[in-house]
Amino acid sequence: MGVVILLVMAAGVAAMLTRKLPTAFALVLLAVVIAFLSGAPLTGENSVLDTVLQEGAPALAATMVAIILGSWLGKLLDETGIAGTLVRKIVEFGGDRPTVVALGVLAVSALVGTVTGSAPAAMLAGIIGIPAMVAVGVPKVTAAGTVLMGIAVGVPFELPVWQFFSTALDLPVDTVRGFMVKLFPFALVAAVAYVVIENRRRGTEHAWSLKSVSARPAPRRERLGDAPWYALLAPVVPLVLALGLDVAIIPSMLAGVLYALVTTTRPGEMNKRLLRTLYGGFEVAAPPLALFVAIGILLAAVKLPGAVDALEPLMKAVSPQNPVLFVIVFTLLVPLCLYRGPLNVFGLGAGIAGVLIATGIYPAVAVLGMATSYNQVFGVADPTSTQTVWAAQYAGVSPQQVMLRTLPYVWLVALGGMCVTAALYV
Amino acid sequence: MSASQAPVAADLAATDDLGWAVRLLAATPTHEHRDPELLRRWARAADAFGAALAPVACTARVVESEGGLELGLLARYGSRPPTVELFTDTIELAERTVDARGWRHWYPPGSVRAAALAHEAVHVHLHHGPAKAALKHALGHSALRLGRLRVPGHVAGAEEVAAHAYARTVCGLGRSPLLLTAALAAEAEAGSGTTPPPARDARREN
Repeated sequence: MGVVILLVMAAGVAAMLTRKLPTAFALVLLAVVIAFLSGAPLTGENSVLDTVLQEGAPALAATMVAIILGSWLGKLLDETGIAGTLVRKIVEFGGDRPTVVALGVLAVSALVGTVTGSAPAAMLAGIIGIPAMVAVGVPKVTAAGTVLMGIAVGVPFELPVWQFFSTALDLPVDTVRGFMVKLFPFALVAAVAYVVIENRRRGTEHAWSLKSVSARPAPRRERLGDAPWYALLAPVVPLVLALGLDVAIIPSMLAGVLYALVTTTRPGEMNKRLLRTLYGGFEVAAPPLALFVAIGILLAAVKLPGAVDALEPLMKAVSPQNPVLFVIVFTLLVPLCLYRGPLNVFGLGAGIAGVLIATGIYPAVAVLGMATSYNQVFGVADPTSTQTVWAAQYAGVSPQQVMLRTLPYVWLVALGGMCVTAALYV
Repeated sequence: MSASQAPVAADLAATDDLGWAVRLLAATPTHEHRDPELLRRWARAADAFGAALAPVACTARVVESEGGLELGLLARYGSRPPTVELFTDTIELAERTVDARGWRHWYPPGSVRAAALAHEAVHVHLHHGPAKAALKHALGHSALRLGRLRVPGHVAGAEEVAAHAYARTVCGLGRSPLLLTAALAAEAEAGSGTTPPPARDARREN
C-alpha cells in the first residue's frame, strides 16, 4: 500500500507541476485519497471526516493568525511609507555606488522578510527597491535576485514561519528558534556574497529606455512624506521582542503593528487606518491561509496509523542514517523543492516531513533542519513561487533567469543547513 | 500620422526640454512624493551640468544589434566589459518618427545614432571618473544634515537628464532627446496596445 500512496503523491506533484490543480486543492485531494488508501473509516477515531478534515483544517491555526498579523504589519509598512522611506534613504545615501544601494535594499528586504513572506514581502521591498536599483545601474536580474535573497535572509526570523514549523513538526518554538539562529548566518553570507559577486561580475548597466518618459504625464501618487526615523524601527520590534525578550509570537507581532501605527499616525486617524490595513492584510494573507488549511489536512492524513504503517518500511529503506550520506543525499535533492516539487515544504514536502517524523526515521528537529534548508531555496529560486515570479516580472526578466542566477547561492545555504542538521541531530 | 495622433504630437513638442526632464525625474522611483518645484530645480541643475560637460570620447566598445523595440531600449551601456549596445531597430524607428512628426530640423539625419553614442559616453564618463561627485555637488541635495555636517544625497535619474542634455549639446540638436524618447514611447505604446499590468496578478499560492 505504501507504494500506492507514493504513486498517488507523485500524481499530486504532477497535478501541481502542470497546474491542473492549485496546490491547496491538490493537497486536500491527496490527503483524502491517502486517508482512504490507509484504510481510515469515514467517521470516528482516525477517520477521513473527523480526523483528517475536521481536526486537520485548523491544526495550523496559530500559524494562520501569525500570517494575518504579518500581513497586517506589512500593509501598515506600505501605507505609512515606512518601507518606501527606507529604500529612498538608501538610494540617497549610496546612489553612486550600485553595490551599496543593492546591499541597502538587501537589508530592507531582510527586515521585510522577518515580518511577512511571499509576494507581499517582495512587493513591499521591490516596488521601489527594484526600479531604484535599476536606476542606479544594477542589472535587472541582479536587482530581482537581491530582493529575493534579502527576503530569504529575513526568513529565519520570520515569526509566522517559526509558528508554522513549531505546529507542523510538533516542536517547541524555542527549538525552532534555536535552529533558525544557526541557519541565519548561511543565509546572510550567501546573500551578501550574491550582491557583491554579481555586481562585480555583471558591473553596472545604464540604458536609454523608452519607458523613462511617457507621452502622458504620470498620475500623481498619493503624496507620502518620509516616515520619521523612529518609525523605521517598526519591522524590528517583533523580532527584538520574540528573539531578545522571549515574548510569544502573536503578542510580539501585535506590538509591531501598534508601534508602526503610533509612530506614523495621528490619534484621530488610528482607528480608520488600523481597520483598513487589517482588512487589506486579510486579502494579502488569503493565499497562504488557504495553503495552511490544506497542509494541516495533509499532515493529519499522513499521520494516520494506517499511512504510517504503510510508508515506514519504504521511507526507512531510502533514508540515509549516516550523517555524511544524509548531507550528500538531501543536498543533491535540493532541485526537488523547485517547481512545486515533492520537497517543497509549503506543499507535499510538509507531508513528507510529517511521514519522516511519524515513522520515527529522523528526530523531528532533524526534519526541521531539512525542511528549513529547503525553504531557503524555495523562497528564492523557485520560478513558480509567487515572490520569484513577481520580482522577476516586475524587473522585466524571466523567473528562470532569476533561478539560474540565485540557485548556486541558495544551494550552498541548503548545504550549510544540512551540515548543521547532520552534525547536531542525525 | 493619423488625425488622432496629431494633437498628441503637438502636445509633445509643446512641453519644453526642462518639462521632459522633470517628467523623467517624476517617473523615477524614490521621487513619487517629491515637490514638483524641487524636481524642476534638480532637472535644471542636471541639465546645465550635462550641457556644460566638455566633450568626452566614448571609450567603450560599440556593438549594434536588433531587439531594442522588444526590450524598450534605444541604447545600453554595460561596464563589464565596457560596451555600448546600439539597438538599430529602435534607431530606425526614431528616424522614421522624426520624419513623420516633422522634427527633422531638430534632429538631422543620423543624429539619433550620434546622440545615443554621446548619451552612453556620459555614462562611461560618470562611471569611471570624478564627474559623478561633481554632478552630486551641482544638484545640492542633502541626504543628511547634522549641524555643520552635510552628507550629499544621490538624486536618482539626474544622471539620465545630464546624459540627454550632453547629447543635445554635443550633437547640436534643436530639442532634447527626451522629446524623441517620449514620441518613441507613444509609438511603442500604440503598436503594442495597452501597457500590460504589472506582475501583481501572478498566480498567488504562497
